[in-house]
Amino acid sequence: METLSNLADGFAVALTFQNIALALAGCFLGTIMGALPGLGPSNGVAILIPLAFTLGLGATPALILLTSVYYGAMYGGRISSILLNIPGDEPAMMTCLDGYPMAQQGRAGEALALSGVASFVGAFFATWGLVLLAPQLVKVALLFGPAEYFALFTLAFATLGGISATNQAKSAFAAALGLGLAMIGVDTQTGVPRFTFGEVHLYDGIDFLVAIVGLFALSEVFIFLEHRRSAAEEAAKPKIEIGRITPSWKMLRYCTPTMLRTTVLGFIAGVLPGAGASLGSFISYSMEKKLVDPEGKTFGKGDPRGVAAPEAGNNAAAGGALVPMLALGVPGSGTTAVLLAVLLSLNITPGPLLFTQNPDVVWGLIAALFIGNFMLLAMNIPMVGLFTRVLMVPPRILMPVVAMISFVGIYGISGSSFDLMVMVGFGIMGWVLRKMDVPLVPVILGTLLGNEMEVNMRRAVTIADGDYSVLIGSPLTIVLWSVAIIGFILPIFVGGVVKRKMRTARDKEASQTD
Amino acid sequence: MSDRIFGGIGLLLALIYAWQATIIQESFLSDAVGPKTFPLIIACILALASVYFLLKPDPEPTWPSYGRLAEIFFAALVMLAYAELLPVLGFLIATALASGYLTWRLGTPPLQSVVVGVGTSVGIYIVFKLILGLSLASGILGF
Amino acid sequence: MTIIAIRRGLAAAALIACAPLAALAQDFTPDKPECIAPANPGGGWDFTCRQVGKSLQDLGLIPSTMQVVNLSGGGGGVAFAEVVNKRNDNNDLIVAASSATSTRLAQNAFPGNTMNQVRWLASVGADYGVIAVAKDSPVNTLPELLGMMKNDPTSIAIGGGSAVGGWDHLKVLIAAQEAGITDVRGVKYIAFAGGGEAVTQLLAGSLQAFTGDLSEARGFVESGDIKVLAVLAPERLGGEFAGMPTAREQGIDAIGANWRGFYAPGGMSDAAYDYWVGAIGALYASDEWKQTMETNGLAPLDLQGAEFEAFVKDSVDSISALSKEIGIIQ
Repeated sequence: METLSNLADGFAVALTFQNIALALAGCFLGTIMGALPGLGPSNGVAILIPLAFTLGLGATPALILLTSVYYGAMYGGRISSILLNIPGDEPAMMTCLDGYPMAQQGRAGEALALSGVASFVGAFFATWGLVLLAPQLVKVALLFGPAEYFALFTLAFATLGGISATNQAKSAFAAALGLGLAMIGVDTQTGVPRFTFGEVHLYDGIDFLVAIVGLFALSEVFIFLEHRRSAAEEAAKPKIEIGRITPSWKMLRYCTPTMLRTTVLGFIAGVLPGAGASLGSFISYSMEKKLVDPEGKTFGKGDPRGVAAPEAGNNAAAGGALVPMLALGVPGSGTTAVLLAVLLSLNITPGPLLFTQNPDVVWGLIAALFIGNFMLLAMNIPMVGLFTRVLMVPPRILMPVVAMISFVGIYGISGSSFDLMVMVGFGIMGWVLRKMDVPLVPVILGTLLGNEMEVNMRRAVTIADGDYSVLIGSPLTIVLWSVAIIGFILPIFVGGVVKRKMRTARDKEASQTD
Repeated sequence: MSDRIFGGIGLLLALIYAWQATIIQESFLSDAVGPKTFPLIIACILALASVYFLLKPDPEPTWPSYGRLAEIFFAALVMLAYAELLPVLGFLIATALASGYLTWRLGTPPLQSVVVGVGTSVGIYIVFKLILGLSLASGILGF
Repeated sequence: MTIIAIRRGLAAAALIACAPLAALAQDFTPDKPECIAPANPGGGWDFTCRQVGKSLQDLGLIPSTMQVVNLSGGGGGVAFAEVVNKRNDNNDLIVAASSATSTRLAQNAFPGNTMNQVRWLASVGADYGVIAVAKDSPVNTLPELLGMMKNDPTSIAIGGGSAVGGWDHLKVLIAAQEAGITDVRGVKYIAFAGGGEAVTQLLAGSLQAFTGDLSEARGFVESGDIKVLAVLAPERLGGEFAGMPTAREQGIDAIGANWRGFYAPGGMSDAAYDYWVGAIGALYASDEWKQTMETNGLAPLDLQGAEFEAFVKDSVDSISALSKEIGIIQ
C-alpha cells in the first residue's frame, strides 16, 4: 500500500503542465531519433542533455524529458525496421525479421500499429515491475556472476539456430564473424591491442552502431542499385499497399499471449546489468519462435507474433534496465549509462539508498514513465498513417536520404571519417553476405555481445585460478547450459535426422498411393 | 560454386585470423586465460563453418551483371570519397554531391537529382545541426 | 611511495581570488569556444566538457556557448593525435583529460605522442582512490587485506573499473608494494567495464575486494553494503567521509587521485593560454563549482598553468617508472 501512495505522490510531482509538455516533446523527439538509422536511444538521450541543461530544468523535469526520449526511441526503432528493413537501433533488429515481410505483403499499417501496442504492453508491465519488485529484483542481478553471464550469452548464441531456418552453418559463420570483429581493439583484461594493425582508430574497437548501420542500411542501398529500374518502369509498377492502419481485435487477441510471455522474458533480461535491451528482444523472439512455431513455418515470413514478440521484449527490457541503474547505480545498457551520468550531474547518486533519499525523484520518474507510455501509445497509433507515407516516396529518392542520414548519425556522434569508411566496408560486406544467404542478425549479435562474453569467461576462470570447470560450477550455470544444449543445439542435429526420416516415410507413403 | 569460393575465402580468413591471434603481444601481466584463447576458438568455428560450405554448397545465388557490379563498386567509391572529403568540403557541399550522385544512379533524371541532392543536404542540416545541435563537419568554407 | 604529490599552496588560492578580474582584463576572447571530449557522449570526459562548459557560460566567463565535440577512439589517443597534428594552433579549443590520459601517456599507449606536445591548462578536481570489501567480510583493515595477499595471492580477487595496467589496478599495486609484496604481478586483479559493475560483483560474492574511486563507492558506503578499508588520500577527507581511514595512517604510504582537467593545443598563443587558465581558475573558485564538486564526490585539486603542467609531468614520470618496474612496459 505504501508503494501505491508513493506512486500517487509521484504522479502529483509529474502531473504539471510543464512536465507533461516535456514528456510530449521527449516522446516525439525520441520516436524520430529512434526511427533514424544511426541514432539509437543512447545517442538520442546524450544529444538532448545539453537541451535539458540549457532550459535550466530541475532534476525531475530533466529526467522526465530524457526518459521520455529513451522510451520514445525504443518505440521509434521499429518504424524503419518495418518500413525499410533497416533497424533504427540495435534492439529493433529482430523486428525486421517479420515486420518487413508484413510490409511487403501490404500490411505495413497493421505491423506498425501492432508493434506500437506490443511496445506499450511491454513497457507498461515492465514499469509496474519496476514499481513493485525493484528491491527484490536487485537480488536476481546479484545471482549472476561472471560464469553465469558466460552461460547466458552462450544460450543467446545457441538460440541463433532457431532464427534462420535454412543453413545452420551460415548462422554459425555469421556469429563467428561478429565475435571476431568484436575482438578488435585493446583487450580490456590485459591492455594489449588485438587485430588493430597499429591503427589507433581501432583501439576502442568497432562501434556496433557503425556495424549495424553499414550492414543493414548501406547494403540496402546496394541492393536497390542492383535492382534499380528506370523512372518509367517504376511508375508502371503497382503501388505498395498500406493496408488497414489499425490491427483487428482478432489479431491483438491472437498476439496477447505472445506479448505477455515476452514481456516477462524481456524484463528479466533487462534487469541483468550485463545483458540489456538487445538481448531482451533477441531472446524474446527466439524463445517465442521455439514455443509457437518450432518448425519455422510462419516466423520470418510475416507472422504478426514475430513482430509483437521482440517489441514487447525490448520495451520490457528498457524498463527492466532501469532497475539496476536506479537501485545499484550500474547501467545495464548504453542508454542507462547515459542516464546514470545525467543523474550524477543533477546531484543525484543512484544506488541502494536512492529510493529512500530521493523518493520524489524516483517516484516522479516512474510516474513520468507511465505518462510517457500512454502518450506514446496515443501518439503512435494515429501516426501510423503518417509513417506509412514513407513508403510512397520512391526508393530512388528515399534510399539516398537514408544513406546520408546514416552517415550523419554516425559522424555527428563520433566525428570520425574513419568510422564512415568502416561503415562503407560493412555495407559491402552486408551486400555480399545477403547474396550468399548468410543471416546478418548473428553478425550484429556477435559484435554486440562478443566482448562481454569473452571477458566474463576470463573473469570467471581467473577468479578460479585457471580452473575452467568453474564455468559449469553453479546450479544456475548448469540450468542455462542445459537449456542451451537440450533446447537448441541438440535439435539442430537430431532434428535433421528426424526430418529426413519423416520425409522418407512420407515419400514411401506417396509412392504407395500412386 | 559461389558457396565453394565463399568457403575458401572463409577458410583463408579463419587461418589469417588464427595467425593474427597467435602473434598478439602478451604483456607481463596476464589473466589465467590470456588474450589469445577466445580469438582462437572463434577461428575454429569460422574454419568449421567454411569447410561445411566447401563440402555442401547451397544452390547458386543470382549474381548481377558486370554493369550492375560496377554500379555498386562506384557507389561504394563515392561513399568512401564522401567520408574522406567531408571534413574538407564541409557537410553541405559533400552531402549534396553524394546524395545527388546516388539519386541519379538509382534512376532519377539528372536535373531532378541535383534538386533532390541539395534538398537532402539542406534538410538534414536543418534537422541535425540546427534542431538537434549535433556538430557536423564545417569544412574549409565554414559551413 | 607518493605517486601524486598534491600541492595546495596558499599562494595558489590568492591567485584564484583575483582570477575573475584577470580573466576580464585579457586581450583574448574565443570566438567559438570548443571542448573536445575524447569519448562518446555519457562518459566522464564528456561530462567534464559539458559541466565545465555550462558553468563557464553561466558565470559569464566565456562569451558564447561552449560547443562540445565528441571525438572518440584509442582511449583518448585519437583526439590527442588530432589536436597535435591538425589543430595545433587553435586558440578556441580545450580538451578534457584525466588520470587515464596521463596513465596512457606514461605507458606509451598513444603511439608517437608525448605530453609535451600539448599545453596543460588546469585541473578542476580529483577523485581519491578507495579500497573496499563487502560489509560481511572478515577483513577490517588494509594491512590485513594486503597480508592475506602476501601469504596467498590467489585468496583475494580484487576488481576495479579499469583495464589491467590501468589506474584502478595501479593503485592496488602501489599499496601492495608498500606492504612489501615483492612480486606484485601475482595480485589477482579482475578488470570490469566500470566501478559500478565491480561493486556489484563484490556484493554478489565473486570478488573479495574492490579498488576504485570514492565517487563510485559512496552510494554503497552510505547504504552500508560495503566498508572502505582505506582511502588513498594524503589526509582524511572532510564531511561525511571523515570516518574513512587513510592508507597512510595504517602504515601504507599509498596515495592515488584520479584528477580531472584540461589540455590545449601546443601551438596556442600565450594570450589565449592565459585566458583559458584564468577562466578555468575562476570557475574553480566559484561557489557553483564547489557545489558541483561536492555532489560528484570530487575532492579539491586546485592547480593552474605551470603548476598543473608540473603536476602532470610528475604523475607521468612516476607512473612510467612504476609501469617499468612492474613490467607493463619495457
